[in-house]
Amino acid sequence: MGQMTRRSFLATTSLAAAGTAAGPWVPGAHAQAKSITIGVLYDLTGPFAAAGAVPGSIGTKIAFDMINEKGGVLGKHKIRAIEGDSQSKPDVAINEAERLLNVEKVDILLGIYSSAIAVPLAEKVDKQNRVLWVTIAIDDRVFRGRDLKYTFRAQPPGSQFGQLSARFIADYAPERFKMKPQEVKGAIIYEDGPYGSGVAASGEAELKKIGMKLVLKEGYSASTPDLASLVTKLKAARPDVLFHTGYNPDITLFLRQAKELGLRVKAIVGHGAGYGQYDKLREAFREDVDHIFNVDPVASQLLDAKKLKGNLGKIRDEFLGRYKKVTGVDQIPPHASMGFNNTWVLLTDVLPRAIQKYGGWSPEAIQKAALETDIPEGGTIQGYGVKFAGPGDNMRGQNLRASLVVMQYIGGKTQIVYPKAIQTASPVLPLPGTSPYAAR
Amino acid sequence: MDPLLVAEAAINGILLGGVLALLALGLNLIFGVVDIVWIAYVELVMLGMYAVYWLVTLWAWPVVLAGMAAVGLVAILGILVHLLIIAPILSSPPVNQLLATGGLLFFLQSFATFLWATDHRSLRLALPILEVGGMFLSFARLLAFAVSLLAMLGLYLFLTRTYIGTAIRAVSQDREAIALMGVDARKVYIVTSGVGGAMAGLAAALLIIQYSVHPYFGAAFGPLTFMIVVLGGLGNMFGAVVGSLLMSEVISVGGIITSTEMAYVVAFVLFIVAMFVRPEGILSRRE
Repeated sequence: MGQMTRRSFLATTSLAAAGTAAGPWVPGAHAQAKSITIGVLYDLTGPFAAAGAVPGSIGTKIAFDMINEKGGVLGKHKIRAIEGDSQSKPDVAINEAERLLNVEKVDILLGIYSSAIAVPLAEKVDKQNRVLWVTIAIDDRVFRGRDLKYTFRAQPPGSQFGQLSARFIADYAPERFKMKPQEVKGAIIYEDGPYGSGVAASGEAELKKIGMKLVLKEGYSASTPDLASLVTKLKAARPDVLFHTGYNPDITLFLRQAKELGLRVKAIVGHGAGYGQYDKLREAFREDVDHIFNVDPVASQLLDAKKLKGNLGKIRDEFLGRYKKVTGVDQIPPHASMGFNNTWVLLTDVLPRAIQKYGGWSPEAIQKAALETDIPEGGTIQGYGVKFAGPGDNMRGQNLRASLVVMQYIGGKTQIVYPKAIQTASPVLPLPGTSPYAAR
Repeated sequence: MDPLLVAEAAINGILLGGVLALLALGLNLIFGVVDIVWIAYVELVMLGMYAVYWLVTLWAWPVVLAGMAAVGLVAILGILVHLLIIAPILSSPPVNQLLATGGLLFFLQSFATFLWATDHRSLRLALPILEVGGMFLSFARLLAFAVSLLAMLGLYLFLTRTYIGTAIRAVSQDREAIALMGVDARKVYIVTSGVGGAMAGLAAALLIIQYSVHPYFGAAFGPLTFMIVVLGGLGNMFGAVVGSLLMSEVISVGGIITSTEMAYVVAFVLFIVAMFVRPEGILSRRE
């Protein structure tokens, strides 16, 4: 009954928003204006806010500030940002996007934390021939088979998450578990929205490819009040490795109930979102979260500045300094880097080319410029390069050079443990006896 | 499936039921007497959880003391909600009443976001792990269950053994007649809202040791609590307890036998069927 009332409220507010959002958009009206108007849409409230959306929005804002302090894009086109709050709800996100695009008449819509929002939104925005620049949401279904012309994402796709974690375990199994990869038993649990189910599906496919045993695969609602029966089931399935994808309240609930109910495994591998918020996890669990893995685009502070091209090291440090100043946090979450980095690519690579080569920042100019983006590895503050899939590609609009890392919380610090080429520490694997989740 | 694990799930289900019953009882008490559904009831619980959290983390209060303070604070909040929001709309059409308490829900969520941001906050308590005969039981849940039982007993004694409790029951049975008997219905409403608030405060104290609190905490428990209250029969105390145990067992044991998602599907289907068969609730009084 509570749910119904909330819905009816939302319906009323949505109608009101739609009513006010009916103004026509005049293409090319911005061509004379000096500033570039960007609608920024993140979940500033609701459960996704603390699971990475707010850090992402701060990262984006810092990118705008740093560019505007130098006079704007190409030193003369300032960024005018208009904020929206998608409140962790897809229907609100769509209304907010409508408002930003058709009332505020922004030139570009940028942001989007949640895949549950990005998947429906991308198609709607693209149909209006407007630019959507996705910074955080990862699900493959944003692009797959849709042939979107004006939607771009420098962020790695969800399918890479499940692949990398499985490969990481397979690579280390002989040395650390004294087991062949085919002998390792894996269990996959996930929140059942597009984000969790997408990552879980890619993980399952990769386990199958490797030949690893999948002993349990189960989804749950991120707002569930109880995960005890899932924990009990996991105990019955006896996995060596637990692959988990979730947001924040559910991860906290799961880890707490897993400890209480005596779940014991050799490794817990998280995939972004709630697992990326190390400060928050540590606040709730102290050293219990040590040695849990997290697959994510790298938190930029972990990369060796010398491996970044040009003056990117300096830019990265400037961003990190500002982020710490604004938030006062100790462990900067990867989402902050995503918000900054993927905005930075637009501001410093795509927009200058669109203006200089294609005469402005119309959707047409931006998409042409984006398809010519060719940033090599080491060319962004998160280490990866950028090359967007073009027409004819099943994933058109997705960055084909994006990559992920496996991080581990060791002794209160985040370390890169995989791929081996850029690791800052050797992974602690299997879980040491000090962990309450360690197999005994 | 190992029978031991099924037993573990069944027991954990009963323990979850205790927590849900506490939530359902307070809401049910208020509905039975005041005849208005407080859509924002779990949001009061959320505020109580914040109260415990801040008292413990900022002022280093012992958890038990902070929990007791939360009971008092939310009881006062319950009375304020009644005086400021419910009392003026007592004779309004039900849809207006729903809109008003629904508005309160959004207000409390936004207010909590404004004050404390959207962070998830948890108390860091080192609770013991209970292993009994190969089964693991959640200590926090066991504690919550025991306190819930005591609270239910207390509520029962209050309603049956005190003058005001008797008046509360009388109002819930026939609000017109009781006015003719010279009972001040306003006072009964205020006491009921206070007791309902205190139950929310107690639930808050027991939930903060198991869950992180955030402004949207109500989303996890709100719909389930309303479902239980309706299932058990609006206004029926015993029905609320039975409804809680039924739902929590379906969720726990159903989750083991099928899947976590499927267990909720079964629970909701069960609810819909129950509403068809007994729309007034499974244990409602026949009128």
